[in-house]
Amino acid sequence: MTNSSSFSNNIVLCVKDIKKVYPNGVVANDGVSFSLLKGEIHSILGENGAGKTTLIKIITGCITPDSGEIYVHGNRVNINSPMDAINLKIGVIHQHFTLIPSLTVAENIALSLPLNFSLDLENIKKKIRDIAKSINLEINPDAKIEELSVGLRQRVEIIKILCQDAEILIFDEPTSVLTPLEVKKLFSMIRELKSRGKSIILITHKVKEALSISDRITIMRRGRIIKTLTPSETNEDELAFLIVGDVRPSFIARESNPGEPLLIVKNLKVLGDRKEIAVNGVSFFIRSGEIVGIAGVAGNGQKELVEALTGLRRVESGSIIFKGMDLTNKSPRFIIRSGIAYIPEDRIRRGVIPNLSVAENLILKSFDSPPYSRSMIMNRNIIESFAQNLINIFGIVTPNSQIAVRNLSGGNIQKLIVARELSNHANVLIAENPSAGLDVRSTETLHQMLSDLRSKGIGILLISADLDEILKLSDRVLIMFNGRIVGELDRNNIDMNKVAKLMLGAT
Amino acid sequence: MMEFYKSLYRALLAIAISFAITSILFVLTGANPFLAYYYIFFGAFGDLLLITETFVRATPILLVSLGLAISFKCKVWNIGAEGQLYIGAMIGTLAALSMGESSLTLLISILFAILGGAAWASIPAFMKARLGINEVITTFLMNYVAINLIQWLLAFPLKSPETLFPESARIPSSAIFPIIINHTRFHLGILISFLIILPLMYFLMMKTTFGFKVKAVGENPEAARYGGINVGRTIFIALVISGALAGMAGFFEVSGIQYRMRPTISPGYGYTGIVIALLGQNNPIGIAFASIFIAAIINGSSTMSRMLNQPQGIVDFIQGVLIIMILLSDMILRYLEKKELILR
Amino acid sequence: MIELIIGLLATTMATSTVLILASIGETIVERGGLLNLSIEGTMLIGAFLGFLGAYFTGNLWLGLLMAIIGGIITTLIFGLLVVKLNLNQVISGLAINLLTYGLCLYFFRYTFSQGAMPYLKELIYPLPIPFLSQIPIIGPILFNQTIFVYIALISAPFIYYLLFRTSFGLKLRAIGEDPSIAYRLGINVNKIRYMALILEGILVGMAGGMLCLSMFNVFDVRITGAKGFIAISIVILGRWNPIGALGGAIIFGFTEALSLWVGTLIIGPLSASMSQLLSTLPYSVAIIALLIGGRRAKGPAGLGSPFLKE
Repeated sequence: MTNSSSFSNNIVLCVKDIKKVYPNGVVANDGVSFSLLKGEIHSILGENGAGKTTLIKIITGCITPDSGEIYVHGNRVNINSPMDAINLKIGVIHQHFTLIPSLTVAENIALSLPLNFSLDLENIKKKIRDIAKSINLEINPDAKIEELSVGLRQRVEIIKILCQDAEILIFDEPTSVLTPLEVKKLFSMIRELKSRGKSIILITHKVKEALSISDRITIMRRGRIIKTLTPSETNEDELAFLIVGDVRPSFIARESNPGEPLLIVKNLKVLGDRKEIAVNGVSFFIRSGEIVGIAGVAGNGQKELVEALTGLRRVESGSIIFKGMDLTNKSPRFIIRSGIAYIPEDRIRRGVIPNLSVAENLILKSFDSPPYSRSMIMNRNIIESFAQNLINIFGIVTPNSQIAVRNLSGGNIQKLIVARELSNHANVLIAENPSAGLDVRSTETLHQMLSDLRSKGIGILLISADLDEILKLSDRVLIMFNGRIVGELDRNNIDMNKVAKLMLGAT
Repeated sequence: MMEFYKSLYRALLAIAISFAITSILFVLTGANPFLAYYYIFFGAFGDLLLITETFVRATPILLVSLGLAISFKCKVWNIGAEGQLYIGAMIGTLAALSMGESSLTLLISILFAILGGAAWASIPAFMKARLGINEVITTFLMNYVAINLIQWLLAFPLKSPETLFPESARIPSSAIFPIIINHTRFHLGILISFLIILPLMYFLMMKTTFGFKVKAVGENPEAARYGGINVGRTIFIALVISGALAGMAGFFEVSGIQYRMRPTISPGYGYTGIVIALLGQNNPIGIAFASIFIAAIINGSSTMSRMLNQPQGIVDFIQGVLIIMILLSDMILRYLEKKELILR
Repeated sequence: MIELIIGLLATTMATSTVLILASIGETIVERGGLLNLSIEGTMLIGAFLGFLGAYFTGNLWLGLLMAIIGGIITTLIFGLLVVKLNLNQVISGLAINLLTYGLCLYFFRYTFSQGAMPYLKELIYPLPIPFLSQIPIIGPILFNQTIFVYIALISAPFIYYLLFRTSFGLKLRAIGEDPSIAYRLGINVNKIRYMALILEGILVGMAGGMLCLSMFNVFDVRITGAKGFIAISIVILGRWNPIGALGGAIIFGFTEALSLWVGTLIIGPLSASMSQLLSTLPYSVAIIALLIGGRRAKGPAGLGSPFLKE
């Protein structure tokens, strides 16, 4: 009895029976109960769509639950806005940082603090330096956020919630944007914070990470808590099984049989949004029937490279030759028609037009060529049967072809994009983080599709921030750092340590 | 089909609420709102002459709003139709005056009016498509350039020597639309607008690849570009088409009604067109009905003002309220659905 | 000649003031991410209520108070539409312009249905500042002006301080860049936007009031003559900075003063023609200035886009 009361005294945060159903009918949290002890690192492990982020949003006041209770230090609380959470000393490092790029570090941190009308930035800068020093970090308070790397931005976030005197620190998928070395640094920082008595929740879908750092691990699946364990009483396989709920479908990679080079890129130089050199003399080639993976930390020129290859960004110098045809600085339309397909990372903003119908999105890249239109007049019947055909072949789950795409799930939108890109009889497919935001099943389906395409002789360029995905699918891996290709490795002799080092620019 | 009924609901809801709100104005100034709406209806549809006058009024509004619909669908907010209309009317008039009597005068004048409106719109279109300068500001400011310039032209260099007013000389009779219904002002231009231009625009917007491009760019320019659509060019053409139709509307007023270019040729058709494009929800059929509706309000209001001794301004007020109610109609519809007050 | 130029510059200050007040007001709300096209209607309401207030009370200052209150109410209605109800900012702004135009026309004709054109018997006259107004050249240009001119000149550095040196300004700018991040940071987005709109209402209402209370002694529904839209152009050209807006507004004020000045200078048959033609000048200048200076203008990243919580 005494034992349990001291246990409950140690509980800094407790949620009971949280329920949240989104307006579109998705049950994100279905009776979630969970508690966090003082000074522990507690991982919440689950795949995308398991409801982890929803739970965090509820705890931090970004959304309100339909029902359920939240206790902080044993007191029942209502968290209706982010401000309430801050006042309860709950701080969160969101997966997507809450920083304003055009403002400085000090200004960004000031925004999250109680302020006098007259702005005393000097005082805030001093506080930032003090806190940074106390956890052995270096940060320039006058730097603009847009000038900082992703790793540094994350530090700003950490310092920010420490400036708010947060006692409960929540990290939402903090490693997804970091290099292996940065992950190490982050984890030692998290342990440092723990040793200072902070209580930490770590949201992740990576089993190894959870095992390596947590005191306790809670597994979530489809909006429910499945189990809470300590790392010593479990192992990787068990956790993986608990996350998915059944055995993962196994993925069969066939032997590669590359043919002639299809796409040859030479000395490509491309500028970024701020006129900085983003791609700095990149050369590589893609053969038919192979998957070439580009590994690297996001923001090292991958986005600009893809945009240059697809005609969405100007090439400063160098050349892109596709089947003997010069595609350098050609229009997107010309490049599409030459036979280059592209699955963009940002599906909703670039990949589809959410307010247009499934059929209209399926013909987005072919509407102005026969048989879908002739002399500017669209043929509705042919478009309709074309759409129906693709819906069937790719198993896109939709009531009909006339419904607006915004009503489809993420996985189905991705299927739609893949269907459209492949319907154009392309020879080269550029896939940019194609599994981002997909659940395990959709990801497996997608990987199988990519592998099958390779067997059919299509050359695939796979850009992914997820190293596991790259290693799983690629025949060759190129490593990109700071706008350059800094290494190339063959599928058969991949040294993880070397990849990790190259991603950080070491030689 | 579902979408069609929803659009209709939205429009009718917006109209009903706007009428209710406008009634407050009538009550405040001591007029009976029911009587007021009766007079408005009577003034618009009371007899054959009044009906033809409603169509006379609806025609320039129809042309302007058909053009605006294509630009709005592209999310390009052209609020410069008023200026484009004036420039079109002026250029058309100049063409007619310099051609003199000939069998081609009318056709060529219309062509020049279209070109004039298109050219005037091409300036903000270029600034938007190439330089990314907000078209709302440029199109609106260009109205003032156009109207002030035309006032000067008509008061000085182009002033008709025969009259005392600032207006051009009378256009040659071969540039005038023939009257279709005797003893009314129902002219050929009305038939052309409703029977040729309207179906043409419907076809352009609904059945062609250009209509598809416009829709794609309006809904998601980033995805449109990724899909191989030239976003800048689509925006440019959409804005220029809306200018062309406004220019046509301007010359139709000269050729069908005024027979001279006057600085008062439009009482704000360019702005009314905005309301109608929105009320018709960028659908040409909806716009046709909405044009007749607003024309009836405008014509009926002058009868109503006379009968009930009401001041001017009601028409502009109704238009402002209408826009807000169209914007709100989605929200109101959702509310009604939630309360299960209407069938889904 | 020097007298004429001093006169021209003094007139410039007066004609600029409406634009300074309006463009600084618009700068504030645009920094908060709202594109307020209803500034034209706000100014008109200011002019109308200013005129009515002064006409019926006989007190110009009560008129000015009415103008400011009218301005605040109009911007708050815009706020209701775009902040509370999240409607399209461009269309809502246009709707308010039509609505206010209709209301002013209706009630003006209703109030003064018969008889002669109503006019104010006196205007708010210049208030020379002791000593300073005696300074040669600068004195008559800057310090022998109406209270509006002084307020406008002071408001530029004052609003600059507000935007860049206070927590209110920092929060407002954060909202303008990305309202959803600002919201997640615990900033009360709507409250701050309403506060910015109230400030704009005060400044633009005052600008409208100035038209009727200090420049013309009559009211007409066309009195604002797109000055609101010129003010929006000035905001762009001034790069969303109150000091920039001040400079831009003075340039536009100069073109307007110039057209008035030329009209009085040239005598004879050409005079009417010239001044008619020159009336297009401010609008043409605005478009040409945007053509040259507007291309690299990068406003607040979230300007004009809707803000939906989750």
